[in-house]
Amino acid sequence: MNGLWKPLAPVLACCGLLLAWQFASLGLKNDSFPTALDSLRAIPPILTDKESLINILASLRRMAIGFALALAFSIPLGLLMGRSRSTAAFFNPLLMLIYPVPKAALMPIIMLWLGVGDVSKTLVIFLGVSLPVIYHSFEGAKAVEEKMLWSGAAMGLSPPERLLRIVLPAALPEILTGCRTGLVLALITMVTSEMIARQSGAGNILFNALDMGQYDTVFAMIIIIGAMGICLDAAFEIVRRWLVRWSEPQFDMPLSFS
Amino acid sequence: MGVTPIRPGQLAGVPLGRRAATPIIEIDHVSQVFKTSSRRDHTALSDISLTVGEGAFVSILGPSGCGKSTLLYIVGGFVSPTSGTAKMKGKPITGPGTDRGPVFQEFALFPWKSVLGNVMYGPLQQGMKPAKAAALARTLLAMVGLTGFEKFYPKELSGGMKQRVALARTLAYGPEVLLMDEPFGALDAHTRTRLQNDLLDIWERDRKTVLFVTHSVEEAVFLSDKVVMMSRSPGRIREVIDIDLPRPRRRDELLLDPRYQKYIVEIERMFDASGDNELPS
Repeated sequence: MNGLWKPLAPVLACCGLLLAWQFASLGLKNDSFPTALDSLRAIPPILTDKESLINILASLRRMAIGFALALAFSIPLGLLMGRSRSTAAFFNPLLMLIYPVPKAALMPIIMLWLGVGDVSKTLVIFLGVSLPVIYHSFEGAKAVEEKMLWSGAAMGLSPPERLLRIVLPAALPEILTGCRTGLVLALITMVTSEMIARQSGAGNILFNALDMGQYDTVFAMIIIIGAMGICLDAAFEIVRRWLVRWSEPQFDMPLSFS
Repeated sequence: MGVTPIRPGQLAGVPLGRRAATPIIEIDHVSQVFKTSSRRDHTALSDISLTVGEGAFVSILGPSGCGKSTLLYIVGGFVSPTSGTAKMKGKPITGPGTDRGPVFQEFALFPWKSVLGNVMYGPLQQGMKPAKAAALARTLLAMVGLTGFEKFYPKELSGGMKQRVALARTLAYGPEVLLMDEPFGALDAHTRTRLQNDLLDIWERDRKTVLFVTHSVEEAVFLSDKVVMMSRSPGRIREVIDIDLPRPRRRDELLLDPRYQKYIVEIERMFDASGDNELPS
């Protein structure tokens, strides 16, 4: 029973949600709230339309670039902050200042400076992803056992080598937790950036359809973006598990041997 | 073989009945002062002078808070003393080095590396070829009784096994001095006894210099040539006792040996008399 229930649970949850949606929509009879069935029917035309696909791929490309750049910048910075008090003292107030600002709120200014093209949108994604990754890298690096670093030092590792070869792997589980949050934020900032700078992308399709009153397309896009989020997160989780298999809880049962 | 406390106005003496050994570690008037959270000065170590001869097994014994681990960290180069100097083979210690290998109570293994990867780490860092490093690591793992566990991750091992890996990892890069910081402190009594026996067996093979921090009187007497007794607040050396028991030592023989028992009782009495009575565990 239990073994069968587990893989089926998410499927049942989705079906339940769609059913509730279907009945709510039929009951409300509102034009701006299409039924689940109509929305699902609107998905294939979007996914077979060349222009829509180009838009969605452009979104994903910006997201990938913004995400990658953010990791390349944030992980080293977070690790340095975690191991060097002066670096942390310098960057912490700056980050605390930026942290609560919704990154999409910076979009109009960024557009003013950099235009409505890829650069602005990628920059907003970069900003959205950076902070959680910096924060988790910082916390991860701070928690690295001093004695582990001493052991490395006694083996002749220089301070930069210790950062790269001890702090980085030791903090990896925490860093990847930050990356996972960052990935979802990348998706969110990607859509919001396209909502503000309407030129191309998945968000653009969504808001154009909204303007034209094509509500089934709007909801279809919401489903597509949601599905992209689920797939990206699941793919990331597989990579994460593999990278930190040495720290996974299935190993928590130690062997009995002195 | 010998440790000699150098007191002001006294030359480093050689204990009677023992062969003089070249000093390998010289600690000269070392003091360590920490700032506490309330911004007061806390003297962890006060004017410590100690010489450790090459090949000696020396224990530093004292109650918690007497600064015995700090002294070990100073020799390791992980902590710089507030005043005084520590020397390794005549050269002032300015930082960690492969000539001094630490083994910590917390094991401090690299959890992302397998058992074999942990032991190979030091030799690889020194530029040894991977195949050769792996062979060396396997030999050392066999020595500490862990053949067959090469592919395990530290998380899959018990405390005793982790400490065996940590010892093999440190031995792998060939330090001249082993710095052991309460290595068996986190282990249960049975495991602890087994590791003490195995450590002595390993030590008998090449008689590396060992500086061993512990708060267990039995452990110190069983393992050591010398026991350096420390007292706390501030951390000072109060006595250095030669343990004149035959080697190789066997636990069952020693337990029947009145000399062994006499050392233990004598040391415990000295700690009791000083009011440092939290000592025996």
